[in-house]
Amino acid sequence: MENLSNITLYILQGAVISLKIYLITIVFSIPLGMLFAMGKLSRFKPVKWLLEIYTWVFRGTPLLLQLLFVYFGLPYLGIELSREMAAYVTFVVNYAAYFTEIFRAGIQSIGRGQYEAAKALGLNYKLTMKRIIIPQAIKVILPPTGNEAVTLIKDTALASVIALSDILRNAKSMVSRTASIEGYIIAAILYLIMTFVIINIFKYIEKRFAYYR
Amino acid sequence: MEEIIKVENLHKGFGSLHVLKGINFFVRKGEIISVIGPSGSGKSTLLRCLNHLEVADMGSISFEGNYIAKADSAGRAVYKRNKEVLSTCSNIGMVFQNFNLFPHKSVLENIIEAPMIVKGKSKKEAEKAAEDLLAKVGLQDKRDAYPYQLSGGQKQRVAIARALAMEPEIMLFDEPTSALDPELIGEVLHVIKKLAEERMTMIIVTHEMNFAREISDRIIFMDDGQIVVDGVPDDIFVNPEHPRIKTFLNKVL
Repeated sequence: MENLSNITLYILQGAVISLKIYLITIVFSIPLGMLFAMGKLSRFKPVKWLLEIYTWVFRGTPLLLQLLFVYFGLPYLGIELSREMAAYVTFVVNYAAYFTEIFRAGIQSIGRGQYEAAKALGLNYKLTMKRIIIPQAIKVILPPTGNEAVTLIKDTALASVIALSDILRNAKSMVSRTASIEGYIIAAILYLIMTFVIINIFKYIEKRFAYYR
Repeated sequence: MEEIIKVENLHKGFGSLHVLKGINFFVRKGEIISVIGPSGSGKSTLLRCLNHLEVADMGSISFEGNYIAKADSAGRAVYKRNKEVLSTCSNIGMVFQNFNLFPHKSVLENIIEAPMIVKGKSKKEAEKAAEDLLAKVGLQDKRDAYPYQLSGGQKQRVAIARALAMEPEIMLFDEPTSALDPELIGEVLHVIKKLAEERMTMIIVTHEMNFAREISDRIIFMDDGQIVVDGVPDDIFVNPEHPRIKTFLNKVL
């Protein structure tokens, strides 16, 4: 029988890839989402339509399917990505689609009066966005973004279907090797710790934005 | 006297609704003009056309002799480049019915924002001017408060200070007291009256008839998208010849 610390150590090794996917997704999908949100709000119709199709496709199909498509499907079109790269690309593109919609809605929630006041003071569109609209939109955007950030840590478990040795895959193989339940429990505890940290980071940020209403 | 704003044959519609039907008027430096008339007569739309918050369909608008929009041969309003329009309009201060303060900025930050990033003033300079303006509107002690901590009357006084901080040539007031509780109206009118005493050029869209009569050099009465009368207060309040003015005054006075 494997002892508990060996099981834990093995599953923790899986946390490395889970966290890598997590951080890369956050770092790239949030700025991308911001950019795409601005695109969706722009007057340039083709950009709007392209982004409309993009968010529809990536929010409208399962992330699991997208992962399989990118890793097992794209090679038939001559595009071969490593397992890790396939995961990074899929997660970033998928989450950017959700962030695009969250940010778009957040920006649109700021009333017309704010734009008018800024314009009457001589601020151009860019300055109005940067100094007046986006700072206010961030406050609106924070809670749903926090939600996505928590969902993402759990979604990283999907990477196990393309045989990446993440927390879940390592837990599964420990469970079959030891014929006992510990592996799953340890995996659950790891996810709980990570989500606890993320939830509290967002609570802290939200508090910092609570100085105004 | 020098004309600050001149409007010729201004037309504006929203879809099938024809809101302004050929407006002609001018404002001279130092003049205080009140615009009165029934709801839906186009008063606010007219004001909003002057600083490009609404885009006119037809006609010309000029500011200190320079056209912001000039009618082409078919009468359609052709605007200058956006940048030029914006820089011209930054000389026109605007006070809104709903204040539109920036909620994420303190009172002081609301006031120094535009002077700093549009006019390029230093922070020190902008703060000094902001403090003088706060003293003028009687809110020195609120400089570090946030808009949600203020009453409606205080918010509107900050909004006036914010507009004045850009050192505008003219101030537009779009129903500045209509969103206020009755007991808070006086403090805002008091500030506007102080500006009138300094001969700040102003156009005030208002439902406060006694106030309009008291401070205005000229009163414009609008009805159904047209200027019915443009004259001294007595033309409206003492000898209203036009039946539509009589009907209106009977309702509001």
